[in-house]
Amino acid sequence: MIKGTCWVADDYVMAYDIITSDHWTSAIDPEENSKIVMSGVKEEFNKINGFKDKGFTFIVANHNFAGGGKSIEHVIAGLMGAGIQAVFATSFARLQFRNAINYGLPFVTSDDDMHLGCDTGDELEYDADKGIIKNLSKGTEFTSVPAAPFVSKVAEAGGLMNFVRDKIAKGEPIR
Amino acid sequence: MGMTITEKIMARSSGRDKVIPGELVWTDIHSVMTMDFLGRQCFDKFRSLGKTEVFDKDKVICVSDHLVPPPTQRFANMLNEWREVVKEHNITNFYDLGRQGIAHQIMVEQGHVLPGTISIGTDSHANTYGAVGAVGNAIGVTDAAVAMATGKAWFRIPKSVKFNITGKWQPWVMAKDLSLHIMGMMHWNGHLLYKSLEFTGPAIESMSMAGRMTLCNMTVDLGAKNGIVAPDVITERYLRRRTNDKWDFVTSDADAAYDMVYDIDISDLAPTVAMPGKLDDTVTVDKLIGTKFNKAFVGTCTNGRLEDIATLAEIMKDKQVHRDVNMILVPASQTVYLEALQAGHLETLIKAGVAIDTPSCASCAGIHTGVAGDGDIVLSAGNRNMTGRMGSRNAQIYLTSPSVVAASAIRGEVTDPRTFDI
Repeated sequence: MIKGTCWVADDYVMAYDIITSDHWTSAIDPEENSKIVMSGVKEEFNKINGFKDKGFTFIVANHNFAGGGKSIEHVIAGLMGAGIQAVFATSFARLQFRNAINYGLPFVTSDDDMHLGCDTGDELEYDADKGIIKNLSKGTEFTSVPAAPFVSKVAEAGGLMNFVRDKIAKGEPIR
Repeated sequence: MGMTITEKIMARSSGRDKVIPGELVWTDIHSVMTMDFLGRQCFDKFRSLGKTEVFDKDKVICVSDHLVPPPTQRFANMLNEWREVVKEHNITNFYDLGRQGIAHQIMVEQGHVLPGTISIGTDSHANTYGAVGAVGNAIGVTDAAVAMATGKAWFRIPKSVKFNITGKWQPWVMAKDLSLHIMGMMHWNGHLLYKSLEFTGPAIESMSMAGRMTLCNMTVDLGAKNGIVAPDVITERYLRRRTNDKWDFVTSDADAAYDMVYDIDISDLAPTVAMPGKLDDTVTVDKLIGTKFNKAFVGTCTNGRLEDIATLAEIMKDKQVHRDVNMILVPASQTVYLEALQAGHLETLIKAGVAIDTPSCASCAGIHTGVAGDGDIVLSAGNRNMTGRMGSRNAQIYLTSPSVVAASAIRGEVTDPRTFDI
């Protein structure tokens, strides 16, 4: 069970704006990337630790979160470094959805339009096992689409690197 | 029930007789590409898996494209680290400055992608590989590291969507126009999210490899997992000189299941432009006639090929780029550069006042040659037009085909190549 406040994003928050192009050639590092994460999304985040200092635990988004077709992992590393523990959206862009799975950061799709009933700063509670997201500030509840077993296994291992490293070390086939 | 070409390739590559959409499989990878600004991190991650030798040193393809030649000391240092790590791992196929090209162009042009197999790359436009009937997929450095170590990657089997393209191509209408037309029709990263897009029909069968590459390239910008054209005689002729590897004509079964099927007749397809900011905000060129711009750009993994450069030369021969416009052409690879030179296209374009730069991703990613400054209005034959894509967040980017860029650069305002006096 994770509990914390949320930031409600607009439609089409692009990977480009989560990590702006001047940082694409930097190292993938949660601590470093988190300092500038979201700097292109909103003026108030456009300063060192601008997003991180808000202390959000969740992001609630609408369609195509982290889209625009950028495969860089700085996006996910930056969000994790900033303390984000789950992102809820109607849909996610494919590349970052994949990266999130590989990093074990829950990118959770919900059939409900949960962004409509949420305001930035609302306190949410996420029960990953049951797939239930509660908005404690508003007294509302949403259900999420359950993660595929593989996705859960990777998350339990702490990401794909750990998952594969463990298999290689044990000499187990990868399948 | 039969399978689509993408399902068949996923099945073959995962050692199964059949796969169904939604299923999650680990597949064999034919080749994995990484490039200069992410490559060192791929190798670092690869070693952290406890491996020292890559799964196949002929099948890990390393390319310098985003940072070459280095415009800053920082990039120069990054490139030096990159060269060191590639050397350390005895990588056979390293396309460094001097033999460089945009990674996706290199992968196809140098025969590192084979029909009926899966290749992945750490750059989003890896979807380009579908042009030869392969599954091409963009991944992050984590997936690349895992593939380097194991020769495998995980995939969820996508649902397939068929685009049946009929009709006759009109003069000066290019594959890019079809891409942008579909973008406007389907909306950017909307209905096609996670889907496999299959392009088929008479208008695809008559399409060159360059056109197929453009079409598949931009499927990532539709939100799709991959774009693919079934291999045919054009594929066979294209690959004959490029690879000695054996490959099969994997194609869709007649009774394969599609999530959606769209029929598009291109007979009346007009040159198309995406408005600044969003790829799916497209209009036909006639709506923008007379729109002023000050920078013109042709290049990238989308439109930097010989056919694109030949189109520019044909339109711009004995003409001059308008005095209010700066135009840059960046060929997609050294091979393309040489072919364009030998064909005389570069001479034609230099005489017309076009600046030509050495092959790289150039300003497309906003981090290299020819970036846009504040207030610039760019007419680009690249692939993305969102805020800040080519540099300044205060610049505007119109995306279109090479033929529209060529005619417009002469006039100094957006021009329909079909009505331009060539």
